[in-house]
Amino acid sequence: MSVLMMRLQGDPLRTRLLILIGLWVVAILVVSLLSPYFLQASTVPYLLQYVPILGLLGLGQTLVILAGGPGIDLSVGSIVSLVGVSVGALMTMGLGVWPACAVGILLGGVLGMINGVLINVLRIPSLMATLATMFAYGGLALATTEGRPIGNFPQEFAWLGQGDTLTIPNSFLFVLVPVALILHIMLTRTTIGRHIVACGNDDRAAHLSGLNVVRLRIGLYVLSGVLAAIGSIISLSWFLAARPDAGKGMELAAVTIAVLGGTHIFGGTGGIPGTLVAILIITTLQIGLQLANISAAWQLGIIGVLLIASVASFGGWRQIWSPIR
Amino acid sequence: MSIAADTRPVLRLSSPTATRELYLFIAILLVGAGFTYASPYFLTPINLIQTLRAALELAIVSAGMTLVIIMGGIDVSVGGILAVTAIVIGKSYQAGLSSFLVAPIGLATGTLLGTWNGFLTTKLKVPPIIATLGSMYIFSAIMFIVIGGAWISGLPGTLSPLVNGTVLHIPASALVILVVYAACWVLLRKVPFGRHIYAIGCNETSAKLVGINVDRTKIATYALLGFLAGFAALLYVARLRNVEINIGTTVALEAIAATILGGTSIRGGVGSLLGTLLGVIFIRIIQNGLVLIGVSSLWETVIIGILLIVVLTADAIRNRNNPRV
Repeated sequence: MSVLMMRLQGDPLRTRLLILIGLWVVAILVVSLLSPYFLQASTVPYLLQYVPILGLLGLGQTLVILAGGPGIDLSVGSIVSLVGVSVGALMTMGLGVWPACAVGILLGGVLGMINGVLINVLRIPSLMATLATMFAYGGLALATTEGRPIGNFPQEFAWLGQGDTLTIPNSFLFVLVPVALILHIMLTRTTIGRHIVACGNDDRAAHLSGLNVVRLRIGLYVLSGVLAAIGSIISLSWFLAARPDAGKGMELAAVTIAVLGGTHIFGGTGGIPGTLVAILIITTLQIGLQLANISAAWQLGIIGVLLIASVASFGGWRQIWSPIR
Repeated sequence: MSIAADTRPVLRLSSPTATRELYLFIAILLVGAGFTYASPYFLTPINLIQTLRAALELAIVSAGMTLVIIMGGIDVSVGGILAVTAIVIGKSYQAGLSSFLVAPIGLATGTLLGTWNGFLTTKLKVPPIIATLGSMYIFSAIMFIVIGGAWISGLPGTLSPLVNGTVLHIPASALVILVVYAACWVLLRKVPFGRHIYAIGCNETSAKLVGINVDRTKIATYALLGFLAGFAALLYVARLRNVEINIGTTVALEAIAATILGGTSIRGGVGSLLGTLLGVIFIRIIQNGLVLIGVSSLWETVIIGILLIVVLTADAIRNRNNPRV
């Protein structure tokens, strides 16, 4: 009975999801009008090729923001760059590609752990802490390589980033879809998911009811770092080169995706499906503008407008700086 | 939860940032001594004046940033404001306007863009970080679309005496910095507007309850930062006589870093202009010294990032018993 009532009253997340799908349809219509090449079957795998990297970052960002605090992770783009050049460097030193990738994922976790400790143990505001680590990590990636990309990845490594199964890119089918499914199930069907939402809604109440808020949030920053590292590996495998500025600007796109997807900027509300549709919207615009041969600068502008609009309409009523506890 | 602790920064008579300023001053002396020892070119009048000129724009922007951060806000889009304003200035010069017209146009552009940020954070209730991140995207989009990947060069240096000239053997850039900081100090410390900034930074709700027009003060402060960024853009064009494509990319982070290094609390309500000025000098001396001793300039961002993390961590440990943070 109560389930029926909930269905009837409508859940705000579901409404948001419907709005987002509507927005996606509008985006598809607009770019189809801009470019005759967009509305073709061959666009689908091309589009899906672009989704996984940003998607992984967006999913990590969603969970970090969802757990409240207010939490945000601006360092994900720099983690992508730093993990990329580290994997490249390890490989040049003679380690196999896949072991190097494993070390890279571990490194992503450690970098995320540094963020988590700075924010949750030392209680530095998340924005400031991750802004600082964004420059430290990104700077390290640039400085250690002196700005030069690392190449020479073996051809069989391209399976992940360039290969496809049944015309669907492997990185989408074997990485993003399983990760999104696992995170969605974790968030909606397990106690950990409930704990994340509880922390985001009222961390004091969560603490008083016995949750280890600090440990949970550190865990989510670690997860965000690991997902960024996986994204970095996909990008390596796609371009078969490690660019020291590979992740530049990705942090903003990741935050935009999470917020556009309906995750409240102060935590407590949000979900994986919204984030996924938001990724599709952003990627559709990206690919569409590319096909229509419109300057990449417009993408930046549109993402900026979307970022502001999605927060403005959703009403961030409290200052991000003032502690909610 | 003592009430005294909440109001302390406003009521305390001596500056709460005095110790920080002292430490920073000692740090500057130590770093300076180190570089003097390491490089014979460091402690020469030419090098110091050159460093001062390079610090000009950052110092001016940081003064405004200090006010915004004391108010509990942040603006990561100042680099974008600087860039867009510099382009407007460059295009106006190219259109044949005289400096008497170009200067007010530049200042007005900066002020307008700052007001836009203030409008977003107050009227649309977007948290300052998200609003200014979005603005940064939009401003850089505008910049790329207008400038189209090419430099604007060959601009007149009518205002360059403000940067390169001397008055009674004192470099003009030092006087400009002095005038800007004196004006901001008067605004912050000697008129009600400054008290309102501190009050909003300490507790926005209380500020509203005692009758401060919070929205107006906020918009005015963001506009002031925009105005100063516009002024910095004028001096940038006067100094370099061209507009590069990568203008302003690091200004926002450097200004935030200088402000935080100078003892301004990232949570608002505490801060001083003298500390910020020392922070700017510290950052520029480190950058200059590293170049002189032959370290790649790519390490700058790493060092600033790590410095920020260290200072934030030290602050966090020092304030761990303060209920306000």
